[in-house]
Order: sequence, then C-alpha cells, then structure tokens
Amino acid sequence: MASRQIALKNLSVQYLGFEDWVLKEITVFAPVGAKIGLVGPSKGGRSTLLNLFAGIIPKIIPAKIKGKVTLGDNDYRDLAPELRKTTGVVLQDSASQLSGLADSVYDELAFALVNRGLDPLTIQDRVAAVASQFDLEDYLEQAPTALSGGQMQRLAIASALALNPQFLLLDDPTSQMDPVGRQHFFSWLKQQKDQTVFIASGEVDDLAEVCDQIWVLEAGRLAASGTPQAVFNQLKDDPLVAKPTSLELAKRLKIKRPDGSYPVTASELKEAAGK
Amino acid sequence: MTIEINKLGFAYPEAGFDLKLDHLVLADRLTAFIGQNGAGKSTLLKLLSGLLDLQEGQVTVDGEDLGQYLAQDRIKKVGYTFQDPNDQIFNATVAKEVAWGLKKLGLPEAAIKDQTDQALKAVGLEGSQEKNPYDLSLSEKKLLTIATVLAIDPEIYLFDEPMMSLDYPSRQRVTRIFKQLEARGRQLIVITHDMDWLASQCERVNVMNHGRLIFSGAVSDLFAQPDLVEKIGVLPPRVYSLSQMLGIDPPFLSLEQAEDR
Repeated sequence: MASRQIALKNLSVQYLGFEDWVLKEITVFAPVGAKIGLVGPSKGGRSTLLNLFAGIIPKIIPAKIKGKVTLGDNDYRDLAPELRKTTGVVLQDSASQLSGLADSVYDELAFALVNRGLDPLTIQDRVAAVASQFDLEDYLEQAPTALSGGQMQRLAIASALALNPQFLLLDDPTSQMDPVGRQHFFSWLKQQKDQTVFIASGEVDDLAEVCDQIWVLEAGRLAASGTPQAVFNQLKDDPLVAKPTSLELAKRLKIKRPDGSYPVTASELKEAAGK
Repeated sequence: MTIEINKLGFAYPEAGFDLKLDHLVLADRLTAFIGQNGAGKSTLLKLLSGLLDLQEGQVTVDGEDLGQYLAQDRIKKVGYTFQDPNDQIFNATVAKEVAWGLKKLGLPEAAIKDQTDQALKAVGLEGSQEKNPYDLSLSEKKLLTIATVLAIDPEIYLFDEPMMSLDYPSRQRVTRIFKQLEARGRQLIVITHDMDWLASQCERVNVMNHGRLIFSGAVSDLFAQPDLVEKIGVLPPRVYSLSQMLGIDPPFLSLEQAEDR
C-alpha cells in the first residue's frame, strides 16, 4: 500500500468555454501517504488540481482533461466513486461547503456520518473526537452560520475528518484562522500518518515543517517539485513564491548547510548555525 | 491628522460585550490594532467610520467632533474595508463595485471610468472589469474591496485584515500601496492577525482584549513580554523567534533588520 504512487502524466485541464488551459502538461509523482504542499500565486492552478482530485472537475465544473492521473496501476477516474468515500475536502471558501441543512455545529459534524447510516453511538464518539481536536466543543449548540471565519474553517476540517478519510484535500484551510489556530492546525497535520494530504497554502514556513513534498504551480505549469529543502532552494530568487523565513534569514546572515544549500526549517537553521 | 478618543463606550448588551477606551491618540500615518476575535477591534473601526454610533464619550479628528467631521462627504473622509469581502461586495460587476462610491460623489462618467480603471490597475485586477465579483477568488475579492476605497482616496483608510487570504505577490503589492498612501499623507488604521507583517511595517501597536486597550506602545516592547503575547493569543513574528533561537539580542523584528546587520 505504502509503495503505491499517485502519478500525474502530461495532465492538462481547460474549463469549458475558456480558451486558456489552467493546468499545462503537469508530470509529477508522489507516494501514497505523503503530505504534498501546493504552493504558488493565485490562479496558478492549485485549486484546479484539488478540485480535479475531489471530482468537482469535471462532475460539477465541466472541463476538458488531457493526460492521466493514476493511483497505483489504476486510472484515477475508474476509482473515483470508491475514492470519494475515503476523501475529505476543505474548500477555499469553507462557508460554501456547509450542508445548509444543519441547525447546529453538532449536526453539521454528524451530517455525513448520518448519511452513511452509522449507528448513533459511533456518530456521537466521532463528533466528540473531531470537535475536541479542533476546539469546537464550546460551539456545538451554535448555528454554523454564527461562527467566525476561522471557526468555520475549523468546522469544515473537522467535518471532513469525521469520516476518517484516506485522502485529504485542503484548499488554504487556515487563511482565516488566528495565529494560534493556525499553529494548532499545522501541529495536528504534522502528527498525521498514513493519510495522503494535498494542501494548498501560502504558509510556506508551516509547509516546509510538515510536508514531504512541495509542488509549485505558476500559471498552470509545474515550476518545481521535490522536498521542501530542494524546492525552496531552487526557487530562492523567484519573486512569485514566498520562501520560508528560515531560508530568508539564513540568506541574510550567510548561514548555509554543509552541502551549500540554505536551511528551510527552524531545526535546519539551528543545526546550520551550530547552535 | 490626529484622531483623539476620549471615554469611548459602546456595548452589545445581548452579546455581553462592551467596549471601553479611556484615552487614545492616533497620530501615526499607519496605526495597527491586534487582539483575538471578539476583542472589539472591528467594533472600534466601525465606530470610527461612522457605521456605528458612539454610545458614550467623544472622538475628534484634528479637534473636530467625529460626527461633525463626517457630516459632509462622508465617503471622502473615511473609507472602510470589511474583514470578509463577501459582506461588502454587492454589485454585478467588478467595475460597478468600484464605481459605486464614485457615482455617489456625483463625478462625471469619464472621471468615474478613469478612477475605476486606475484603482483596479493598482491592485492588479485590470482586465477583470466585467467579471461578476462572485466569480473571483477570495484573494481577488479582498483586492477588489481595497480598490473600492483607493478609487475614492479618502483622508482616513480603515482596513480590517487587509492581508487575509492574499497570495504572496498581492501581499507585496498591497504593502507597496500602503506605503504610497502614507507618503501621500493619508492616515491608515489597520487590524491585523499577521505579526510578521505588523513587525515589518509598524513601529507601534495597540492591543485590544475583551473590549479594553491593554497595550499601546512599541512593537519591540510588546514582543519582549512573552506573558502578554500569550495572553492575547498571538505568536511573535517568525523572524523574531528564529533570531532569538540563534541567540541574537535584541531579536530581529523584520528581515530588513537582519540585512542591516
């Protein structure tokens, strides 16, 4: 299982009615179980890629797709109905993904579980677990629409996790969280094992600490892919991509690692500085 | 300009919230407010913009009562952008959203078009004039709300979390716009959760907590008090924590400080 790969081969996507291709001949691989950070400017193709994996493209948003996405030996599209059951999605605008049918945060968290026909005790346990994980215990009786932006994002993440998904697709999940909320989220994400995670985010410091791979999308093309170390060093002078503060600070203080590269995480910086 | 707040009081009794500010003078070109959700920052900005009416106390702008100051041509005096752009945008196209305030000012069509185009260009949304704002990404919606105030160019700009959801190039762009506004003598009051941005752009900061001002002073003095920083639910700027880890004293507040070393 762990050796299976997710592979994109010459993948191109064009929305129906539009001239430009939003993804252009992307070829890249990642092992199942990896955490992949999607980086790059707005409109670079990150959300398109996540929407494609989620099945929103082409099912809800029609688009022309060229090339292939495979999971192990199978075409992704053949597996789609099965995969959807084990995929959790958090959209960029998390308020837009509420069921709209739940009167309370509790009911929203339980929504997908009830739809799956799980027994009431299991539902209760799972809701309690994810509510505690994402600090929503005090809000269970509140209407979801009364939550702040950051609380709404925590609710969207907790709802996606209630089903114990194998795949997590997260589109800028912390954009409206306060700094402490963001730190909690990334600490949680770092501890997750065996789940394949695709996360689009501008929080490059956190991505460098948490992700196994970084894929950089600029204007629909894959500008770089690899470990955070390799990618951020490769793009250290790219004005379109934010770099981790460890790298920016090391550059200014002329601190390098023994192999000549710059550190991209706090622990790498500490080690490179001999502290 | 000098904004002076005296014995300000405002309450939402049904929510158990009250805001009280004894005395605060805002005279910097760029003033920042930080604090957790529900601390009263947005309420204060709404009071300064005239969206909410004071219940107690007085606010003056260069000695003139705020109500008097705003009585004529209010939108030329104070511009306000909401934290959530979806709360603000209501027109059918991007251009109409920006032009709305200019029309209220009664400008001629040609000037409206010109100022709309310039404001959209400033935020990088040129070419999106005819798009429906609801088709924009969150980052672009945020930029659109900034363009709506830029087009009018009021004396005082109030921004509620202007950097939220912006991608890296847009953050750089908005930071440049702020510097230009400051250089042109405009006054900016900004709410932010982004301590890296705060520390790199502002000398001083005001901290709100449960409806009270609990700190007003130099950014470096705030981060030198770890207990206070923890109490208000923020994290020190990353460059501050990293330089502290490297034993640099005092720690850097911005990457520029590291450059000058």
